[in-house]
Amino acid sequence: MESTAKLSKVTIDCSAVAKSDAKPYTPGAGGSVPEWEKDRCIRCGICYVYCPTGSVVRLGDGFFEADKKTCSSCGICHRECWLGVISMVEEE
Amino acid sequence: MDKYSLFVPNFLPSGEYLAAPSNKTCVGCGVSLAVRQIGKVVENFFDDVAFARPGKDDLFKGKTDAAFLKIKKGDSEVLFCLDDEPAGGVDNAVKKPMPVSAVEQGVKYVATACPSYPFDLMNKVQMALKVSGKSYIHVLCPCPAGWQFNTENTVKVGFKAVESLAFPLYEVVEGTYKLTNKTVKPRQIAEYLGAQERFSNVKEEEITAAGAAAQEEYQKLFGAA
Repeated sequence: MESTAKLSKVTIDCSAVAKSDAKPYTPGAGGSVPEWEKDRCIRCGICYVYCPTGSVVRLGDGFFEADKKTCSSCGICHRECWLGVISMVEEE
Repeated sequence: MDKYSLFVPNFLPSGEYLAAPSNKTCVGCGVSLAVRQIGKVVENFFDDVAFARPGKDDLFKGKTDAAFLKIKKGDSEVLFCLDDEPAGGVDNAVKKPMPVSAVEQGVKYVATACPSYPFDLMNKVQMALKVSGKSYIHVLCPCPAGWQFNTENTVKVGFKAVESLAFPLYEVVEGTYKLTNKTVKPRQIAEYLGAQERFSNVKEEEITAAGAAAQEEYQKLFGAA
């Protein structure tokens, strides 16, 4: 419990984007979020391991869901899913 | 594979530790991914943690302006270099003198890791936390903004870095080098460097020379591939 105070010390930031040679891009890439096809998902959890923001949430039945508040729409889960179960669906 | 059996994705702790949910990084950030994976091993059981980008630094006599994460737990102290190669340049992408000079300076446990191989990375973090004294882990973190590739390819670029022998995954326990991920059929270095748009203007000879340098470095440490 005492270590929670220490956790706030860590802020992961970055210097690369300040460089002039960084590629310009729009964060969120259209605001699409991953969606799982439950019929074919084998619940291996590779999407869970590879999510940089920790927005893939494991549900009670073992399937996964994206936390739409923190998902940055990078598309890593979509790219890495072995069965191609995850598709990026645009949000209105 | 038996040593990885504890790290089946579904058995990982469900909490997010260190900075994962609240970090201020770009989309598809490799540093953020690596820190999250480290957090899954350390959880809340540490005494102190610090993250810094010290700028050009003479640490281990290898110059770098990468990010550093330091975790103290009991009498063990682990220093992570989260290398996203902000310095640019083909030489910088292929030559990694930091882990080797750390070994020469007598650091007990030295390893290289990449978040594309999450269980390998977690295994090394666990090993480092068992060592009393200082240990050093050099983590290659692909950076979509700086290296200029699409955000969904962060993990794929990490695979290419390891498979093209530009960044072999190894650990050094008290001076003995050991590969933890042996690449059976190495890729061409052009596949790795060509995936990054920042090297689109680099001449072909330079890329071939970089490939030769990577091969030479690899053979020096582990013999012929």
